[in-house]
Amino acid sequence: MTGSMKLPRRGLLIGAAAVGSVLSAPAKVRSQAAFPSRIVEIVTHAGVGGGTDITARMMMVQAPAVFGQEFTVVNRTAGSGAQALQYVASKPADGHTIILMTQTHILTQLRNPSLPQFADFIPVARATADPHLVLVRRDSPFRTPADLINAGKERSLRFGGTHVGGTDHVVIFAFGRASGIQRPTLVPFRGGGEVVINVVGGNVDTAVVNPGEAEAQLRAGEVRPLISLAETRLEAFADVPTAKELGIDATGYTLRGFCVFKGTPDDRVARLESGLIEAMSGQVYRTYLQNTGQMPESVTGREAWGAQLTQFNRDGREALQALGLLRG
Amino acid sequence: MEGFLGGLAILIDPYVMLMVLLGTVLGIFVGALPGISGSTTIALLLPMTIAMGPIPAICFLGAIYCAANFGGSITAIMVNAPGDPSASATALEGFKMAEKGQAGLALGISAIASAIGGIVSVFVLIVAAPLLARAAYSFGPPEYFAIALFGLSMCAAIGGDSPLKNLIAAVLGLLIATVGMDLTTGIERFSFGIYELSDGIGFVPVLIGLFAVGEMLDQAAKRVGKAQIIHLDAARVPGWAEFKKCNRSIWVGSAVGTFIGVLPALGATTAALIGYNETRRWSKYKHEFGKGSIEGVAGPEAANNAAVGGSMVPTLALGIPGSATTAIILAGLIVQGVRPGPHLFTEQPTLLYAVFASMLAANLFYLVMGLSMAKLFARISLIPPAILWPSVFVLSVIGAYGPNQSMGDVLVMLVAGVVGFLFRRTGFSPAPLIMGLVLGAMVEETLKQSLIIFDDDLAGFLGRPIALTLFALTITGLLWPMVSRLLRGGRAARA
Repeated sequence: MTGSMKLPRRGLLIGAAAVGSVLSAPAKVRSQAAFPSRIVEIVTHAGVGGGTDITARMMMVQAPAVFGQEFTVVNRTAGSGAQALQYVASKPADGHTIILMTQTHILTQLRNPSLPQFADFIPVARATADPHLVLVRRDSPFRTPADLINAGKERSLRFGGTHVGGTDHVVIFAFGRASGIQRPTLVPFRGGGEVVINVVGGNVDTAVVNPGEAEAQLRAGEVRPLISLAETRLEAFADVPTAKELGIDATGYTLRGFCVFKGTPDDRVARLESGLIEAMSGQVYRTYLQNTGQMPESVTGREAWGAQLTQFNRDGREALQALGLLRG
Repeated sequence: MEGFLGGLAILIDPYVMLMVLLGTVLGIFVGALPGISGSTTIALLLPMTIAMGPIPAICFLGAIYCAANFGGSITAIMVNAPGDPSASATALEGFKMAEKGQAGLALGISAIASAIGGIVSVFVLIVAAPLLARAAYSFGPPEYFAIALFGLSMCAAIGGDSPLKNLIAAVLGLLIATVGMDLTTGIERFSFGIYELSDGIGFVPVLIGLFAVGEMLDQAAKRVGKAQIIHLDAARVPGWAEFKKCNRSIWVGSAVGTFIGVLPALGATTAALIGYNETRRWSKYKHEFGKGSIEGVAGPEAANNAAVGGSMVPTLALGIPGSATTAIILAGLIVQGVRPGPHLFTEQPTLLYAVFASMLAANLFYLVMGLSMAKLFARISLIPPAILWPSVFVLSVIGAYGPNQSMGDVLVMLVAGVVGFLFRRTGFSPAPLIMGLVLGAMVEETLKQSLIIFDDDLAGFLGRPIALTLFALTITGLLWPMVSRLLRGGRAARA
């Protein structure tokens, strides 16, 4: 009881610290030509409470103290990111409007050439890079990565994932092609949780999911990870080989990060990059990453973030073309 | 046992109880306002709960969740504008009761049924969460298809003048459900290149339009001076007689709600609609339905609040959320460093039982508040229509715009309002349309998923006993009126 009584006081301390740093901020701001000079908008395609929305809100806990300016989330949910892209393009490119970009936006851009395109955005900083695991249920006949690949050469494997033409589908397609298996059959579901249930329930052969989505099932041993689609071995899954180790040139991540519209002055992009990274290096965001099973290295600057987006833009175009989902 | 007592101990912790009370009051309030749902509130408050520590934070969020589901019924009953989507089934009979001058009765029974439904489901959660959670794995697309079909099979029976009109309204709902991107092909249907339509037509704006704006237009079309008669007994709350009458429907609703809630893919809104169907099916006073049946309020309210406890089952035991709101609560748990899953029951029983205890407390809090404030809320029906309905219209616009900050949704709401008005004038009911809209996408998606899993072979359903059982129930339900008529006819002939 006393323990829980103490916590709010600690909360007050954090609050006081935040207020303190806001008060000390103006001097810093003035020296940088007063940017940001008004409320900074973080635009997301996710509804309030969606995974991407929560990422934005977690970042924003410490951002106001870093920038000496208020932040607000703008939810523009329509059209799988289309509305969010248009909203950002309609605002002045002065760094006060930041889009929280995901792979969904890139796929939407590819399918709708009339929207602001990939090249119209400047990457600023990455917020999350959540690797995918290829996993099967406990009593699956596939014991090793080789079992799965060999079976996939004989018949089309059923993969659980989100909707046709979505991020999961592109990752599954790229994995399938790189591993030389027959084109996988996607069984689409509404979300990661449903995918995991259907892996355990035996309705699909396998699936690509983020470790956080299958946390309970991984711990209970109800699903077995066979292959990791991360660049290097994951700390939490040290005995799961990466696809690259197995000679399969494929990676899979759920990516979220910040971009601004083209024309934003370079010094402001640099200021946003360093400031956002600082905000995301704070305690709250660190804890959020850790608790959702993600690595602190998820937070990175524009160079690595931009390279990864470019790669996905290429993979996505190829996949959508092969799946017949690209117009023209 | 130690964990159980430790969990119960939070009931005497003034700080945690204050948080539960705060959450309950806030929950009733946002639940009653169209436009801010419990899930939006929880999402917005999530970052603020970080500093609270796991137990107070989860108890606070859980209390909002429980109370918002009840709060939604207040506006549903008083002004036909469901404050929370899960209260749409409540509006069907609740508003009719208020029109008859029984607002207090409707509000009171809503509070009682909600609390009983909520408490029943929490007890189920305490006793059987890990066991029930396993059942979720047995439900794949074929089983969900069978449930959705079962729900739809009642369409002709609920609502308006004639079964034919109900079927027409249901088909309209099914058609609206096809708008937007198709999950299994990735192709947009009937969106005409409008981005606002690519995610489908929102449930909330259609609901607000059909109910609240449709009602407003209807009131406006009536002649001035024919304003509602002031009902003096509007503030009467239910007594033992009313409770006894609703007893059966409360239990039916609680059972349906808990079961639907446990299934990860279905939430409180579906629970309330199916609860409404089943209440009607099992009622001794079927003729009252559609004219302001008190059981028609009790059943769905018990169901949607039972779904709250039900949906906590997969959330806590599997780490898989059973509804939009529990998805956010799950995020809240994870941010606090609590990893849901089967191990939670052995590793952190205190936290778990604290969650259960706080949900029980929240249910009791809003029961007391709901009953004592029913008289106050009931006075809304004494507000002259010329003042009441314009304010409802403003709330409706905000309610449609709010969730997605989209003017497109406001347009959808206005169109739905005109449809609702025409429905009222022509003897159609919004109930089957809503059934079609809610279950339509599910019927189609789950059938397509099933066929992908079965390699396009319908015979695959034969290997799914749960689905077959549900199909059998559906067929029995459809044929029963005919069979019973035949039997009765036979008996009459013999006599």
